[in-house]
Amino acid sequence: MPLLNTEIAEQVKQELSGLAGPVRLVMFTQEFECDYCTETRQLVEEIAELSEQLTAEIYNFSTDKEKAEELDVDKIPAIAVIGAEDYGVRLYGIPSGYEFASLLHAIQMVAAGKPDLSDETLTALAELTEPVHIQVFVTPTCPYCAGSVVLGHQMAVASPMVRADMVEATEFPQLAQKYQVMGVPRTVINETAHIEGAAPEGMVLAKLQEALEAVKVPS
Amino acid sequence: MLDFKLTQPQQEEQHLAAEEQAGPVYDVVIIGGAPAGLTAAIYAGRAARKALLLIGPLPGGQVATTNLVENFPGFPEGINGAELAQRMQQQAERFGAQIVMDSVKEVDFSASPFTIQTHAETYRGRTAIIATGAVPRRLGVPGEKKFFGRGVSTCATCDAFFYKDKRVVVVGGGDSAIDEGLFLTKFAREVVVVHRRDQLRATRIYQERAFANPRMRFVWDSVVEEVLGDKTVTGVRVRNVKTEENSVIEADGLFMYVGTIPGTKLFAGQIELDERGYVVTDRHQHTSVPGVFAAGDVQSPDFRQIVVAAGSGAVAAIEADRYLAEQSHSA
Repeated sequence: MPLLNTEIAEQVKQELSGLAGPVRLVMFTQEFECDYCTETRQLVEEIAELSEQLTAEIYNFSTDKEKAEELDVDKIPAIAVIGAEDYGVRLYGIPSGYEFASLLHAIQMVAAGKPDLSDETLTALAELTEPVHIQVFVTPTCPYCAGSVVLGHQMAVASPMVRADMVEATEFPQLAQKYQVMGVPRTVINETAHIEGAAPEGMVLAKLQEALEAVKVPS
Repeated sequence: MLDFKLTQPQQEEQHLAAEEQAGPVYDVVIIGGAPAGLTAAIYAGRAARKALLLIGPLPGGQVATTNLVENFPGFPEGINGAELAQRMQQQAERFGAQIVMDSVKEVDFSASPFTIQTHAETYRGRTAIIATGAVPRRLGVPGEKKFFGRGVSTCATCDAFFYKDKRVVVVGGGDSAIDEGLFLTKFAREVVVVHRRDQLRATRIYQERAFANPRMRFVWDSVVEEVLGDKTVTGVRVRNVKTEENSVIEADGLFMYVGTIPGTKLFAGQIELDERGYVVTDRHQHTSVPGVFAAGDVQSPDFRQIVVAAGSGAVAAIEADRYLAEQSHSA
């Protein structure tokens, strides 16, 4: 039984028809003890069918450990959206509900390699000297979450120092607990800084800079 | 969980080209991107007016967080709120409205063209339509601020999952409280509705569903006085307004649906507001300033329906068009 009905599949095909370049959907999964691994894999395979530019690469998290480490993938189901470059765009958990649009957006952004951010943000990101890890916790029924995920992914595409993950909170309850996620979206930057709610670009950038300042050793 | 929507996230900011930023004068500047503003944008565009729609921090407004809208005409099966908002936006774009995602910081309606300043730019418009809607009111009780976002919420569609198999308290007695409360029963093992009266205000069909739902129970004539807990919410203290008795309801979370506050701080002193802060308008959506119109919840707290907001948005845009036509004839 396909996950995407005919109507949605047609729409997705349209959405992806103008992809600027080839994109690999590199997915990590396993056969058992993983709530939505099977469905996520099926979704990736179905989407890959809808564009010539898309290829699905499926790896086993346990046996393909080296590949997982190479791509910094530490939990499953995981989708690494990789274009001409690996910009650090990841999705952990099944991108269903409103997050489906985030996945499509990620594919389009990675294909083009161009983020849609303000000049101010682009300049600030270009000046980064420390790595930044953005984790956006979401749930599939949260309408504001996808915007935060897309913003994180855009920053990852904009800068080689930034990597950004969508993390579907319901599938990773231990992580949700670790970062005290009880309301979404919640953006966690470099483990310690966090933003509640859907924050605009300027606010996320400010938090990012704050997070980096906090660990600077005074010279 | 296995539902795949094509709703596009609406938080992308569109950056206008440099020359456009110098400040063209728009025919209509619409402030607010929810059903009232979106409908106004559709009508303004179709009237061949150069329209700018400024969408602030909560695109789609209250409808965007509503899981299923069943009372907007034309959708016998109901429609997802965010999807409805997105379609309205697509329609506005189709008819040429320029859309910018940025919050308005300041306005000046003292002279025409009016000036509308956002964080990034300053815009000018020959007419303006205020459609800033309303935001959820908070209770303002002890513990609420401490736990907001992690135990206290105003968005059930966002946060319902975190209360799976838990007990939550919903405060309110209107459509939002009951509709969102029913949504919560899909996740929580019990939803306790605390209402300060002994009767719900909600639409009859919501009431019927609520009373028939085995996971929902009601605490009448009561108000929440405090949110309790140390690291996480453990309950709420309620007071019965008739007997003055205090009691504690053990719960893991609190959802507040106690009304809304109009988004009119920006306009105070420039247009007439009523004693509750809502914009005063006549039957044709005119405000006290000629050329400035208002639509949606920001000027009509009595109905708060999507279709009513959309209707007033259309009227505002038609009136703006008429106003512009009169201005150019008398110029």
